[in-house]
Amino acid sequence: MAQIEPTDKGKKKKGAQKKMAIHVDFTPMVDMNMLLITFFMLCTTMIQSRTMQIILPSNDKNIKEEQKTQADASEAITLILDTEYDSHNLPLKDANGNTLHRIFYYEGIPDSINANTAGKKVVSKGAIQIERFIPEEGEGNKGIRAILRDRHKEAMDNYDKLKAQWRNKEINKQQFDSLAKLNATDEKLKHPIVIIKPGPNATYESLIYAIDELNLNQVRRYSIQRPDKTDSALIRKFSAANPSLNVMRPNVR
Amino acid sequence: MGKVKIKKKSTLIDMTAMSDVTVLLLTFFMLTSTFLTKEPTTVQTPSSVSEEMIPAKDLVTVLVSSQDKNPNAENPLAIEGKIFLSFTGDSVISSEALREQVLANAVAKYNEKHKNHPVTLTPKMVSNFKKSNMMGTPFRYLEEVLSMDPAEMDKLMTDLANPKVGIPINGNKDKQGNLNDFQVWMWALAKMATENRADAISNAGLVEGTDTQKIRDLDIIYNSLYQGRGISIKADKDTPFDKIDEVFDNLQTMGLNKFTLQTALKTEEANQ
Repeated sequence: MAQIEPTDKGKKKKGAQKKMAIHVDFTPMVDMNMLLITFFMLCTTMIQSRTMQIILPSNDKNIKEEQKTQADASEAITLILDTEYDSHNLPLKDANGNTLHRIFYYEGIPDSINANTAGKKVVSKGAIQIERFIPEEGEGNKGIRAILRDRHKEAMDNYDKLKAQWRNKEINKQQFDSLAKLNATDEKLKHPIVIIKPGPNATYESLIYAIDELNLNQVRRYSIQRPDKTDSALIRKFSAANPSLNVMRPNVR
Repeated sequence: MGKVKIKKKSTLIDMTAMSDVTVLLLTFFMLTSTFLTKEPTTVQTPSSVSEEMIPAKDLVTVLVSSQDKNPNAENPLAIEGKIFLSFTGDSVISSEALREQVLANAVAKYNEKHKNHPVTLTPKMVSNFKKSNMMGTPFRYLEEVLSMDPAEMDKLMTDLANPKVGIPINGNKDKQGNLNDFQVWMWALAKMATENRADAISNAGLVEGTDTQKIRDLDIIYNSLYQGRGISIKADKDTPFDKIDEVFDNLQTMGLNKFTLQTALKTEEANQ
């Protein structure tokens, strides 16, 4: 398809060299490139997966109770994860397509006598309450992040200061990381201990979200456990106190 | 009056610039993207604020299938929680060599417990296993599945409801006891990292600490497995935690307490 067109018009001088315009048609080349682009767009991915590290305790039977790390139960905050399902056994989504997770939580030792009602009036510290990752509209709803933050305001304020310094380029990323680690393990400050208990209906996503909240809140000490009888009794009590919330779902998987 | 002569113009458009643009685009795509790996089922990983990149080498991926999300499916839970494994090496030894070694270890371990119906593999089956990226089949069907054509095998793997698909997993908590198929694979991998390392040292008459290629190769695998970067769980965000917990539990039983969870990136603000 390369064309060589003589450009001379009219009279020619004898013996003069012909001027040639060389024109190569690139259309097939473009066609081929487009095909290749299509191929790459279909067969590859631009999204690179990320990872989140998780370290579980050894469940070796030979390790005695005393050797395990002990946490003071009165210092801990327990999050029981739960996910709502629709009639197709798929997790319920809100208008934005986010799955509806709810978290039952209590601080310290559970209070099995009192149950808080939906008005979020704290009857007692250990009483079970309900919350979401993303706070719902309405008074008293804070979201898990704010609740965890309230448990160690001092450390988080320090962390925010560090973050601001980093954003203003006063310290570099490495300095920020090491200072943040120091802050998160500073024994003079109060740090919460979190127990995550994914309930029978919790999805994988709710666990990831819960660990995310801990990471954002600089919580270094947490454990993942299964809910026990006390926890299910607490939830039953809560649902009896708040019939409008429809906590006990008929289609429990 | 002379006729107005309409000059014939050439309709040729210069495609050089267009070609330049497409070549640039092509280069961009080739450099920034990674090839999709063939997986028996697609899962949507949950999003997280964790920014750590997933390693491309020395990685064992445990894929857990999700339920059938088609609302018309008759039994959506039938295909939930099927387990597939993918072994990637490539930093020091190729993925194929890694798979061959792990397969040999796993089959030897399985045959120890199942003397009445042992798995015997032909060279063709081994080479078939080496070439497949993601595998999930019980040991009792291993011979049958590996003797298939690669294309046929891939097709079978996408049929999740088939009993020949998915690595069996159960609540066995005894490392010395009757290991389930998933635990046998993990055992084979751990052996590769620990015992084969020791064997390589003694066979070559080497002393620990001397720097030889073979020891260094196995050290890298050992480190990635026990430092928590080597095993990664990939599961759908809507999969119930019970199914994931079963995998956690089995890994804990095998003494592999550190591992990673695959997530997709989201920004901190989006979570609020």
